[in-house]
Amino acid sequence: MLQTFFKTTLRTLWKNKTYSAMNIFGLAIGIACAGLIFLWVEDEVNYDMVNTKKDRVYLVRENQQYEAGIFTHSSTPGLLAPAIQADIPGIINTCRKSEGNTSYLFSIGDKTMYAEGCFAEPSLFSIFTIPFVQGSATTAFTQLYSIVITEKTAKKFFGNTPDVLGKTVRMDNQQDYVVTGVVKDFPANTSMQFEWVVPFEIYFQRSPWLHRWGNNSLSTYVELGEHASVASVNKQLSGYLKKKDPESITQLFLFGLKNWHLYDQFENGKPTGGGRVTYIRLFSAIAWIILLIACINFMNLATARSEKRAREVGVRKVMGAGKGWLVLQFIGEALFMTLLASFVAVLLISLLLPAFNTLVQKQLIAGFDNPLHVGSLVLITVICGLVAGSYPALYLSSFNPVFVLKGLKTKNSSVAFIRKGLVIVQFSISIILIISTVIVYQQIQHVKTRDLGFDKAHLLELQIQGEMGKNFSVFKQDLLATGAVENVAISDHTTIDGGNNTSGFTWEGKPANNKVLVSTRGVSPEFLPTSGMQLVEGRNLALSDTARGHLNVMVTESLTKLMGKGSAIGKSLHYEGDTTQAVIVGVVKDYVYGNMYGKSDPVLFTALPLRYASVMYIRMKAQTDPANALAQIAAVMKKDNSVYPFQYRFVDDRFNQKFLAEMLVSKLSRIFAALAILISCLGLFGLAAYTAERRTKEIGIRKVLGASVGSITGLLSTDFIKPVLISALIAYPLAWWGMNQWLQAYPYRITISWWVFLFAGAGAMFIALVTISFQSIKAALANPVKSLRTE
Amino acid sequence: MIELQKIYKWHNNGNNRVFLLKDINLTVEEGAFISIMGPSGSGKSTLLNIIGMLDGPSEGSYRFLGQDVFNIKEKQRSQLYKENIGFVFQAYHLIDELTVYENIETPLLYQNIKSAERQAIVADMLDRFQIVGKKDLFPAQLSGGQQQLVGIARALVAKPKLLLADEPTGNLNSKQGEEIMQLFKQINEEDGVTIIQVTHSEKNAAYGKRIIELLDGRIEKK
Repeated sequence: MLQTFFKTTLRTLWKNKTYSAMNIFGLAIGIACAGLIFLWVEDEVNYDMVNTKKDRVYLVRENQQYEAGIFTHSSTPGLLAPAIQADIPGIINTCRKSEGNTSYLFSIGDKTMYAEGCFAEPSLFSIFTIPFVQGSATTAFTQLYSIVITEKTAKKFFGNTPDVLGKTVRMDNQQDYVVTGVVKDFPANTSMQFEWVVPFEIYFQRSPWLHRWGNNSLSTYVELGEHASVASVNKQLSGYLKKKDPESITQLFLFGLKNWHLYDQFENGKPTGGGRVTYIRLFSAIAWIILLIACINFMNLATARSEKRAREVGVRKVMGAGKGWLVLQFIGEALFMTLLASFVAVLLISLLLPAFNTLVQKQLIAGFDNPLHVGSLVLITVICGLVAGSYPALYLSSFNPVFVLKGLKTKNSSVAFIRKGLVIVQFSISIILIISTVIVYQQIQHVKTRDLGFDKAHLLELQIQGEMGKNFSVFKQDLLATGAVENVAISDHTTIDGGNNTSGFTWEGKPANNKVLVSTRGVSPEFLPTSGMQLVEGRNLALSDTARGHLNVMVTESLTKLMGKGSAIGKSLHYEGDTTQAVIVGVVKDYVYGNMYGKSDPVLFTALPLRYASVMYIRMKAQTDPANALAQIAAVMKKDNSVYPFQYRFVDDRFNQKFLAEMLVSKLSRIFAALAILISCLGLFGLAAYTAERRTKEIGIRKVLGASVGSITGLLSTDFIKPVLISALIAYPLAWWGMNQWLQAYPYRITISWWVFLFAGAGAMFIALVTISFQSIKAALANPVKSLRTE
Repeated sequence: MIELQKIYKWHNNGNNRVFLLKDINLTVEEGAFISIMGPSGSGKSTLLNIIGMLDGPSEGSYRFLGQDVFNIKEKQRSQLYKENIGFVFQAYHLIDELTVYENIETPLLYQNIKSAERQAIVADMLDRFQIVGKKDLFPAQLSGGQQQLVGIARALVAKPKLLLADEPTGNLNSKQGEEIMQLFKQINEEDGVTIIQVTHSEKNAAYGKRIIELLDGRIEKK
């Protein structure tokens, strides 16, 4: 039975090569797309899951109550970890770690290179799953100046030397560290990433601010006992800081490891349940939608071809086949087709994976030997086969043999209706995708071209290394002497990222309980001209403005608005517990930092003591060739800062990097929209071919009666214009609603314009017409004598 | 074997009721060979389809081998049909994608007969109709007469008691037609298969032991 079945199916496929190829190819594209998306989803969902204590590890986060709302972040005081471990039952271990990773210069013999890493307590190795290849977790940090590196770093530092324990590296050209451990490289999908880690104690000793309760500047990780309740720990944590510091406006809470990557979005101090998971849901939905479109194709083509198979159904019924048999046969055929399609899809996935990896910046592996992957593929294949095969099977098997064997046309208007309905579904989806693609692109462009309040072009950002801060005047002089540099400035923070902020400022007339978050930036006097920020009122800062006793500052416009009417120049600010008054001498136009889509908090600029500088900005002359300018700057750096290899970033590159997630969405939505349209067109092409064939006789008669090729082409095409028009009407409100929702997440956003909708509708119509016209013209050109004779 | 009583068949065309069959009463004994004749539109095929259980009457009763065909369950009727009735068509209606062998084998598949047994039955059939040499050909590679031969072999492969033929020679030339009629006669006489055929040709009708004339849906009394 099975054998006969396969034979018949293969022969049917072979006999209708174009039809089969269209069907299989459409399904294969669908399955391949879904496969790639699900690989990405799998990687995202497994983020951080290598940690064996994933259910018990938490990050301590803070909710701070301000006038503008609750600000949620994860910087904590240096004294917090040991205190809560002692005070709160349930917390069995804690780890303090410097925030993020810092890049330092390492010297190994006469080799130097930069590497990124952090300062952490030894408990890091037990809280997180970090297997040691050399050395051990228990002995790693027994000495103060020890360093633990990853296998990759070991290779980077020492080449192929097998045993690197006990070797010495010099960090930042100052202190020697002894390698006490080598750990396995981290998988790409973990939050914990570093090239090296050294004891937290070193950082703690040299950072006086970490010894105060009021300062938040490091990450605190917590491990709970097996039976500890998060709720009860959270209850005790919530008001904990208030006990230590009555002034505190902060509530602490635990944020579970399993939520770090996907659910990292907070609103008013509560997790929104959103975050990266939104993208996962979005793309999973797209994967299923593309599969659905491919299945719809299959159904459409299968029912369109039904007349050809009607006779077979009739004959089989007369020979005793029950409906069940026939349903089985047709679903079997559909399954067989999807099976072939999934083979093609496997091929497509293998071919496309490298490109897809570059696109999503991951190292995904197809892993066709992974039972989960194979299982999913089989599952997708079976689901597609069942979905695609179900309707044609039920439809075909319900034919009345008496009718079909008499050669009567199956005039079934409900089928035509369903078929048109399916086309409408496909094109609605395609139009929605076109609209979304355009709007996502517009929004990104909108933000990218927004006036940031400073000029990001031709601006170079250098991390301060060695003597660059202290000897700033020498560097400045040498850089300006090259002729390629317009200006040079230093700052304690990068311009486009967030940084230090405080709610500790008060001023005359400010309500007592009104907390306003203000960012503070220390800059050299050259900063305004170098960054291209505009002074609105007053004067720029001078180095002398930072002298104790009389501190002069600049603020951004939004802060002056909060301080009441009239010019802000001459008004003074107070910092909590500090008797010094800061007098405003200049007002700077607001600029955008941190979240590029949002409205940034006010900023207060102080003149920066040179030794606190951490970033140098170099404005290159716009007319100089950048490569040439870079070479000259590199030469100066080599001369003045010989120990440290020259490293730089362009601010506009950094700016572009802020859009990685959105750019990815944009690129993927473009690709998937194109594919959805392609698959839909395959289906439309088949339907048009079928319609033309079905109406051969009519066309022949019309031609004999004198109809022109043009009028017949028009006649055949109008049939398909209506469904596309209806699709547009369905797609418009849905797309508008969806995109409006999406845009709400961005405070700085475009307004949706009507022409996008018009464009999408017209685009879909054009593509549909081109697809159909091929068949229509072919039918219209056919010789009527021939078509009438064959009928 | 067949008892038709007061069979009516109509369909509604707007407000008019168009009768295809009117008051058909017919009894067919086992082993009979009946030819149904009549002009186009007289209801011949409709009657044959009702006898063949492919179509139901609007009114009337039909007993086949003692069972009330239209008052038993679908499943039982299907079983009754599968085991006892074979159909032959004017346009042969072979499945184009199947070889001669597979076409003949198909009815056996639907009766869940084991593979080995199927092979034996089909081989027997090919042998009997002298088409062994053509068993791997596709219908399109055969002449009309050969196709009809395969059609008949297919109709008989499940050893039905009743063979229904709707103008079996309509698409054939007279020589081929005669051969098919000879075959029918032989099947009827040697195997005892009851045959009911619809035909336009007086000559072919004469092969039957009994001729029924239909006119406007009624059996003409002679």
